[in-house]
Amino acid sequence: MGIRITFIFAFLSFGIDARPISYSGGSTIMAFSDNMKNSIYYHYSPSYKYSIGIEDIRDKYFNEDYSYARFTYLINRENTKFSQRNLYFQSGLSSKGFNNYFYGMHGDWETRRLFVGFGLKKTEKKIQDYLEQSYQIGVAPYLGDYGDLHTWVMLKSKKNSLENKWSTYPVLKFFKGNTLMEIGYHQRTNLDFHLMYRF
Amino acid sequence: MRKILLLIIFTSITWAENPHDHMTYFNEDHLHEQLVDGKKLKVDPIRFNKFVMGVTDSQIAVVNVKGMVCDFCARGIEKTFTKDPNVKKIDVDLSSGKVLIAYNKGQEIKFDDIKEKILINGLNAIDMTIINL
Repeated sequence: MGIRITFIFAFLSFGIDARPISYSGGSTIMAFSDNMKNSIYYHYSPSYKYSIGIEDIRDKYFNEDYSYARFTYLINRENTKFSQRNLYFQSGLSSKGFNNYFYGMHGDWETRRLFVGFGLKKTEKKIQDYLEQSYQIGVAPYLGDYGDLHTWVMLKSKKNSLENKWSTYPVLKFFKGNTLMEIGYHQRTNLDFHLMYRF
Repeated sequence: MRKILLLIIFTSITWAENPHDHMTYFNEDHLHEQLVDGKKLKVDPIRFNKFVMGVTDSQIAVVNVKGMVCDFCARGIEKTFTKDPNVKKIDVDLSSGKVLIAYNKGQEIKFDDIKEKILINGLNAIDMTIINL
């Protein structure tokens, strides 16, 4: 059970939080699915510095439905000519009540060729609390032009306090125009799918 | 020899007759030489020619942007500028970190306005060069 939960959160933390804030006035809708959970997350960014949104979750494992009212804030960003570095604060309050919420940090640094990211997330639940940490590196095998199909080959590694074991697995990320798709595979969870559209 | 000298003189005169801010965009060397701020422009001439194809009576703002490392992140720039009725065309060049914006000729181009539009997308415009077509 712990292993499966860990995989869920690993993909949620790295997939959904990969682009946690849009441009000013922009909206993003994301869908996530694996053998454990389906999730749909919509967020709106009044400013490039923060986003507010709703994440609706169908938890297959615990057989329950709940939602998170989410808030993400850009703590720090450094733009250079060849790179961008971001540090975000993320939080969510569950529809299950005030005793159910999460908060954490998410950071990344990327050039057109390389990507490095991390995530720390504490989930407070009435029954059980979780602490997750995750790290990600990626490389773009080719540099596409604006409007082209872009591809990233990534490696993710994470640990959840529920099972206290590291798991590492490959992920492919594709994006073209306003659409982004991530596919990850692990022998236990089979295919994980994450789709994002920004408008 | 005399013919060569005459050719050089003729070329020099033709070159000198061009206004300082009016760039001949078919030659990369020209792009590098005739800059308002004196900096190297480094615009891909093929890309630039493709961009200005069919664009007439216009001026092109070439904006140098920091942090534009990702196509998905730069999408907002295109959306923001295409809402501006004075903008005829826009192109994002990820490889050089530049945004090309075609405005109507005679339209006043304010760098502060462009800077603000880039900033609301979370990126930073650091300088701009205007090329008259």
